[in-house]
Amino acid sequence: MTLLEVSELKTWFETPAGTVKAVDGVSFSLAKGEIIGLVGESGSGKSITGFSILGLVDPPGKVVGGTIRFNGEDLRAASEARLRALRGDRIAMIFQDPMMTLNPVLSIGTQMVETVLAHRRMSRADARAKARDALGRVGIPRPEERLDAYPHEFSGGMRQRVAIATALLHEPDLIIADEPTTALDVTIQSQILSEVQGLAAEMGMGLIWISHDLGVVAGLADRIAVMYAGRIVEEGPRDDVLDTPRHPYTSGLVASAPIANERGKPLRQIRGSAPSALHRPEGCAFRPRCDHAGDLCVNDVPETCAAPRRWRCFYPLGSS
Amino acid sequence: MTDILAAAEGVSKRFRHKPDFAERLAIRLGAATEPATVHALDGVDLHIHRGEVVGLVGESGCGKSTLGRVIAGMLPPSEGRITRDGQDIRALRGADARKMRLATQIIFQDPMSSLNPRKRVSEIIGEAPRVHGLIPRREVRAEVGKLLATVGLDPTMADRYPHQFSGGQRQRIGIARALAVNPDFLICDESIAALDVSIQAQVINLFMDLRRQFNLTLLFISHDLSVVRHISDRVVIMYLGRVVEISPADTVFDAPRHPYTAALLEEIPRLDRRGRRFTAIKGEIPSPVNPPPGCHFHPRCPHAFDRCRLERPALKQVGAGQDVACHLNDGNGLIDTPSRQGE
Repeated sequence: MTLLEVSELKTWFETPAGTVKAVDGVSFSLAKGEIIGLVGESGSGKSITGFSILGLVDPPGKVVGGTIRFNGEDLRAASEARLRALRGDRIAMIFQDPMMTLNPVLSIGTQMVETVLAHRRMSRADARAKARDALGRVGIPRPEERLDAYPHEFSGGMRQRVAIATALLHEPDLIIADEPTTALDVTIQSQILSEVQGLAAEMGMGLIWISHDLGVVAGLADRIAVMYAGRIVEEGPRDDVLDTPRHPYTSGLVASAPIANERGKPLRQIRGSAPSALHRPEGCAFRPRCDHAGDLCVNDVPETCAAPRRWRCFYPLGSS
Repeated sequence: MTDILAAAEGVSKRFRHKPDFAERLAIRLGAATEPATVHALDGVDLHIHRGEVVGLVGESGCGKSTLGRVIAGMLPPSEGRITRDGQDIRALRGADARKMRLATQIIFQDPMSSLNPRKRVSEIIGEAPRVHGLIPRREVRAEVGKLLATVGLDPTMADRYPHQFSGGQRQRIGIARALAVNPDFLICDESIAALDVSIQAQVINLFMDLRRQFNLTLLFISHDLSVVRHISDRVVIMYLGRVVEISPADTVFDAPRHPYTAALLEEIPRLDRRGRRFTAIKGEIPSPVNPPPGCHFHPRCPHAFDRCRLERPALKQVGAGQDVACHLNDGNGLIDTPSRQGE
């Protein structure tokens, strides 16, 4: 069953220097219980895609086109009150830096109880019990005591667990996780991934995992969508995308991973760097860095669909 | 003539906040406690041979950056000594000390905070060789152009400011600045961590080229084991201020002999580990203010036994070029090392 359907989403920022098309025609869908990895480099529009779904884009940014359907409901047409009711209840977001999510002057318990009561009518004591259970579920020891602690009393990994526990309070249908483990150490990252993976399977929620790290996504996601310059350039089942990439950018990313190269030999690299969002090349934005570019690439690239995969490239790899 | 370029011998580094008058008074009166001491480095021995690339790996707070700075002579060790070409760097004076400092250069993580935003690239790169009299003033411009070309930038960009470059290009400027004083030893402190994935490969390749071209010795500090394995000859693993394992890069991946190394390898996200069921070693990295007794890793170690809680394991040779600090290698049953897939 389709949980989320994003189609032709466009989120643009009007700046004095010109229009920044941060998200420029992004489409994807997510089923219940499915994990999609949204991969891209900084400025590719992956975070803005997440913010757009939640209606959290601030001026000068604006969702200027496309539709977002969540459980069949059109979120772009939804009122602010309706969105507020959905956020934190049916859709939750986990951010990279939990210190930004948590209020430093309120105890964890106060903040979590507030989240519970914002969406449910129940007594404070019940809400507190719910918060305590949520903390226990993400592996925080002595949850009852920790409810009275303040964010600064937690380590980075524990803080991220608190943020995840808060996001899970109402057992949402959809979680959007924006680089939630990027700031954490490897061993702590594994712990968080293990918690999230277990809970997602247990509760059957849909998960959008936004990351720049293909390795994390390879371990976690069912499907992978690769973003470049505001667009999804390739999307499909995890193994297909990683093993037989169609888009030269995906292929370049996979090939440049140290693990894919012989030790001590030069890494295969993608030349050049990502274009500024203000001055993207006409046609395929990857064209100046692409070894396979041809005459057609100056034109706008349509999407090629070959279910369950799709890509945006005139000269896809592995086709001839 | 020895082939050891730089060495740390029994190096410890402690950081302690110095109490001011009011705090000292409060401590006297029993209203405050003595300020805490952070044990950043605790008896570290490390020898770096000429021409090799040593990878230094560990999680945040393990002291890897502090060790880099101590070896570079930027921070004095609290105990122990640093030698450079066989000489104690604290004994060096005048011209010798200056020569040593120039010969060791550091490249930092964030090029934006290590490049002066108000100076042009030509000044950033050309200043040190000019001030130290390495090249005559009128040749500085040509030299800067040559350096820019060496690191893969267009020499005509010499008059731009750092903000006019992308992250990867800025890191190249940082590298050019380091090369300008003809060092033989580069310390790269998380030099690629802030870069995008497609740019990381470019900069790693640049480091490998430069190493060959200029016969550099590299100390490559990173939290990313897969990158370190790729470019290093030897890998040093640190945990909470101590070296727990030193191994040739191949060995450390295929047969780690310290449980922490094994855990790190197990948990590193890799492209070839698909649809994993993530598991994790328990617990958090303890605070370096109050590290656990005995082996620092014992509270998280699945193999810990009584001795680990009491006695600090010494770094001992367990195989060819492989030194490990773990009691398990002492005849109390070697740790079982399932063969690991390297590629």
